[in-house]
Amino acid sequence: MLFKLQKIVACFLILFTAELWADSKPIAPENVAGAIAVSAEEVIELILLNPDLIVIDSRKKTEYAKGHIEGAVNLLNTDMNQQSLEMLAPDKTKPVLFYCNGVRCLRSADAVTKALDWGYKNIFWFRGGWNEWTEKRLPVISD
Amino acid sequence: MRIEKLSIRTITVFIFMMIAAVAIVLSLFAGNYFRQSALDAQVNSLSRVIEVASHEMLKATRNYTFDLGMKLGNSAELVKAVDAVGNPDGRELLIALLNDPFINGFVGVSKINLVGVRVYDLELNLIAESSRGVSGLDKHLTPYLGGIIKQREGVARLKAVDGLWSSSRGPLYSTVVPVGGLRLRGFLEVIVDPVFNLPDIGKITRTPVNVFSIDGKLVSESKQGDIAGFLPVEYELLTSDGQPAFRLVGYENVERLNREMEETKIVTISGFLLLSMVTLLFALWLFHRFLFVPVSRMTKDMERMAKGELDHDVNKTGLREFYQLASSFNAMANQVRARTDELRDSQNRLLQLLDLDDSAILYFGNVNEVVYFNRTAIDLFGYSYDEMSDMDSKDLFADDIDRLMSDSVFQKLQAELHCIRNDGERVKCKAVIHLLDIMGESGFAIALNPVSNDRHSSQRMEVVEESLNSILELARKNPGLMMGPLGSLYSESDDEKAVLREQCVNVMCTALACWEHDLGRNKLDLAEESRIWQVYIDKSTPTTRTLDKYLNVESCPKNPRCQRVIDTAEFVLRAMGQKAQPSQEKLKTMLAELRQLISRVKVKSR
Repeated sequence: MLFKLQKIVACFLILFTAELWADSKPIAPENVAGAIAVSAEEVIELILLNPDLIVIDSRKKTEYAKGHIEGAVNLLNTDMNQQSLEMLAPDKTKPVLFYCNGVRCLRSADAVTKALDWGYKNIFWFRGGWNEWTEKRLPVISD
Repeated sequence: MRIEKLSIRTITVFIFMMIAAVAIVLSLFAGNYFRQSALDAQVNSLSRVIEVASHEMLKATRNYTFDLGMKLGNSAELVKAVDAVGNPDGRELLIALLNDPFINGFVGVSKINLVGVRVYDLELNLIAESSRGVSGLDKHLTPYLGGIIKQREGVARLKAVDGLWSSSRGPLYSTVVPVGGLRLRGFLEVIVDPVFNLPDIGKITRTPVNVFSIDGKLVSESKQGDIAGFLPVEYELLTSDGQPAFRLVGYENVERLNREMEETKIVTISGFLLLSMVTLLFALWLFHRFLFVPVSRMTKDMERMAKGELDHDVNKTGLREFYQLASSFNAMANQVRARTDELRDSQNRLLQLLDLDDSAILYFGNVNEVVYFNRTAIDLFGYSYDEMSDMDSKDLFADDIDRLMSDSVFQKLQAELHCIRNDGERVKCKAVIHLLDIMGESGFAIALNPVSNDRHSSQRMEVVEESLNSILELARKNPGLMMGPLGSLYSESDDEKAVLREQCVNVMCTALACWEHDLGRNKLDLAEESRIWQVYIDKSTPTTRTLDKYLNVESCPKNPRCQRVIDTAEFVLRAMGQKAQPSQEKLKTMLAELRQLISRVKVKSR
């Protein structure tokens, strides 16, 4: 009887934990203080209007190879340090745009936070990322 | 059919049988209805599955056309060629680039059937198209896709558009992507034949799917074996602008569904019918226990009481209404019993009074038969009780009483009558004759006194009249309570009496015929030898007055002495011995019929 009760309690705990895990799945913050959040259409306008804009794809290299925004440079957020960023964007006042897979991806938010910490002043964050881009069936570049 | 012939049990059983029949019909109807509903649901379900699968198929096709379009549209050579299309050889160069996927292939070449690649300027005018693939298409972008692109402004024009559309060569699928990436130079259209991908629908649904064109031609046939007996489910695939493109027919194997439905139907119907039957039988048992049995018992009890067994009580065991009914009936029967006892006492007192009277008192019925006579009358005429019962007024009086009464203008008449005694002596008596009318039957009562004996006959007659009225009324209402001729006066119907009389006369005539023809004897011999019938001496001549009455229906007493008739017939048969003659057989047969008739009348009167 006691063993059966223990099994029932264990099942409840597993279910409860799974529920907590499902709810605690990472979601990118709505915005990052100091960065400007933009949509897919605004990304295109930024690219067309700012020839100096540096677009950084914070996803893995394999994901980048399958498809990316025109002109984007791949730099995984975990690989990104101040030096590597400065190599791509030496002028901290020039606009830099970060994106990753979308709202369930925290890479670009992490990269944006780092860039802001390192003193970059003109940071744009494409929160919708690759999912929003492909859903809107906008032009993609694949290797 | 008369409603009286139907019993509550019959009606109830009939109603229950009707309910059972309705239950059977309804269950069969419901079974078929549910089966049809299940098939309809299956059809709708598969139709939705085919719809979703066709959209999945188009989505997969769209991914390949989009990738190819992006590959070409972002190609620097193609962008340059589009820019230089106005130059000499520029158009040929562009066409060569558009032909490249047909020649060198592309990613997903095995997944789609590329039939054309075309390039449009920003105003959607056709600049160039591949020379490979399908030719003869209209030289412009399909209006549906063109309309979407023209409606868009700014960066929205960079978004790719797709659609299934109807061309002159049948339905085709196109994806339009920008040329030049984010820096729009024109539009590139990738055209594929969707028929190539339509069999994928069957792979998704895992059911055989045949594809027909709208005009009914088989475009693609399933390779999934025999589809005989399968349930066909149709779905019409529309173009992006809502025109019918293909007719997809999926085939669902409903053998298992039918089998399961049949099993479910049998189980459900059997269960329903079983439950219904058990419920009906239980209800029938309840009816039997609480309705039929009490009603039957009460009916039998009431019939017994109606036949005169007033000491019997109706059994009160039963439901409240039956208990109340039986109690009320028993109360009523008690009242009737008390009244009857009173009446019987009155009758006995009256009869005793009449017997105590020293006048001879007789009452004759409407055919002059003796209905009542007191003890003094028996003494006066010298007959036995039975003999007196067979007499009528003509046997007992030398005077024509009918004529006397018809001559009189009064209801009451005083006269001197000549009474004929058993020994032939005639006695002169003073008589008071009183006409009586009891319930429409006329009769008359006579009080007789020897000429010198009594001068108060008239007063006595009033008493007699009153007494007879009471007795006859009692006899009419309660025939079972009365004894003697009075008892039988109203006990049987006139029809039964007539039949009985007729049969008695027939037996007597046949017996006499046998006696006279087969044995060579006469009527007087029969009366004397049998000692059944009285031989009278009228004016020194022996006569058989009583026997003679039984030889004619009109003269036969209203209540014939059947036992005398039977005794006579048996006497004649004994006298005939073992001689097998037709007349003997006839007499036997008629005697048997008379016995049956008597027993039937007895049963009825009981």
